[in-house]
Amino acid sequence: MGLIRFFKKIEPDKTKHPFMHTLYDGFFSFVFVPNHTTSNGVHIRDGMDLKRLMTFVVIALIPAYLFGIYNIGHQHFIAMKEFPGFFEAANLKFFYGLIKIIPIFIVANVVGLGLEFYYAYKRGHNIEEGFLVTGALIPLIMPPDIPLWILALAVVFAVIIGKEAFGGTGMNIWNIALLTRMFVFFAYPTSITGDTVWVSGFETLKVGAAADYSWWHTGLLNTIFDWFGWLKFDPSGVIADGFSGATPLGIGAEGGWEGIVSRYPNGVSDLFWGKIPGSIGETSKPLIILGGIFLLVTRVASWRIMLGAVLGTALTAILLNFWGATPMMQIPWYYQFFIGSALFAIVFMATDPVTAASTNKGKWIYGFFIGFLAIVIRVLNPAYPEGWMLAIIFMNTLAPMIDYYTIQNHIKKRLKRA
Amino acid sequence: MLDFFNTFIKSAFIENMILSYFLGMCSYLAVSKSVKTATGLGLAVIFVQGITIPVNWLISEYLLVETGIFGIDLTFLRFILFIAVIASMVQLVEMVVEKVSPALYNSLGIFLPLITVNCAILGGSLFMISREYNFPNAVAFGLGGGMGWALAIIAIAAIREKIRYSNIPAPLQGLGIAFIITGLMGMAFMSLMGIDPAAFFKY
Repeated sequence: MGLIRFFKKIEPDKTKHPFMHTLYDGFFSFVFVPNHTTSNGVHIRDGMDLKRLMTFVVIALIPAYLFGIYNIGHQHFIAMKEFPGFFEAANLKFFYGLIKIIPIFIVANVVGLGLEFYYAYKRGHNIEEGFLVTGALIPLIMPPDIPLWILALAVVFAVIIGKEAFGGTGMNIWNIALLTRMFVFFAYPTSITGDTVWVSGFETLKVGAAADYSWWHTGLLNTIFDWFGWLKFDPSGVIADGFSGATPLGIGAEGGWEGIVSRYPNGVSDLFWGKIPGSIGETSKPLIILGGIFLLVTRVASWRIMLGAVLGTALTAILLNFWGATPMMQIPWYYQFFIGSALFAIVFMATDPVTAASTNKGKWIYGFFIGFLAIVIRVLNPAYPEGWMLAIIFMNTLAPMIDYYTIQNHIKKRLKRA
Repeated sequence: MLDFFNTFIKSAFIENMILSYFLGMCSYLAVSKSVKTATGLGLAVIFVQGITIPVNWLISEYLLVETGIFGIDLTFLRFILFIAVIASMVQLVEMVVEKVSPALYNSLGIFLPLITVNCAILGGSLFMISREYNFPNAVAFGLGGGMGWALAIIAIAAIREKIRYSNIPAPLQGLGIAFIITGLMGMAFMSLMGIDPAAFFKY
């Protein structure tokens, strides 16, 4: 027990340095389960506490993370028509993505956790791990080239207005990660909604634009790659002829499904495996499904919400197929899951237990309407290319109402039976 | 017929009275503490809105304009007549509610007669004039606007009931958090903005 002795040794005095003690407590309870017990009131003892729950979600996100990192690099080189094979120049692609994602991750977590620590100290409660999952989700739903100051501002908004104002972890009405994205979406639309911001590493996405590598690429990493005799970053690379950075959704509005498929060399299989531009974590469908299965097996996420959302999406898309007035409506309904952030939103965003409806019947309704609204916004709303974030935020708003009426309905039924 | 649906959907969800025009805020903030009273007020507003807008349309179309029954331009009487119609409708609702559900009557208190001066109601009638709706559109707008208002107040009431025992910072308790919720709800409703049902009914 060397570690616990170390922790006991550095424990700051609670009255003299309250802020230091809050910090200490946060890290201590992260490593050890505290042994003080509650003596009054009713409480439930369960090995599956908040911390385990959060850790499981983070584990489920790891595959999507690794793929996202690699895909940033892959898309970057695709734009220059270099290394078109997915596993070519793996070192360049992986480290390119890593250099992109690490600052985003650090900024999101330092700002978010910093605020969390500050409020824990200020309001006199223990540090809760509420930001753990949020901090892991935020980088995955951002475009790779998001300016870091915008990201920081958005996290400040979401944590203070969306969470701390409502009383901290577990009390928020709206999903914090989605509020962060929503803030960027409405306040700085050019950095997130444009059709051409999703391929990273160029000043502009015009033909002939040079890749902007920093000292990290050409200085540090090239030296290291040199030792191993691997491929190196070539600063003279430019965007090749005929390149377009448009996302599948951008193309789909004009060219329909054929337009999307013809844009990628392997058609549907590229869309399925996720070798397409998009937000960092949303592109690879099998890995998201893998994470989803993990969440379902460990019972962290609700299968009712997932199934409801899948049904809602499918039914709405089938109806729109019959209508078929615009190219977007004619996309076969099962392919609606392949484009945009459909699966990522269903698996990781809609199932957030805090902001979703909490009654069983309510979960079906909640999930179904998320799918319905997302497709309605994606296909029928010309103002926004994608609808999942907006649909989930919208249903977060209505979730307490759904719960209220579900419970009232239940009470009425029971009274009748009695 | 399609026009009717178009106006209805638009006024209920896309151009919501509260969340995109911020009309009718006073009773929206004051009565949204419990879902039960909010539902009552919401229904009252749907009723009043759904009756007054078509009635006001008839009045302004057949009585007030020069081509109407009297043959003179009486549009300067518009406000006073609109208010009179609204007030009498509210009086009717008040009598019905008092008779049917005294509990709801008591919990709504002063806010039931105050529907008379609810900006959403008069605003609805004036929007109806300035947007030059025809009669079916006016009916759709009245029902849709009222339902949008009711949806918003019930949703916020459910949220406020949910956060009743949350540890909200002291300066934000009560109205402060209600304003924050309203703002975020407005943001959530922006997701539907930009949908133009008319464009799709053409196909």
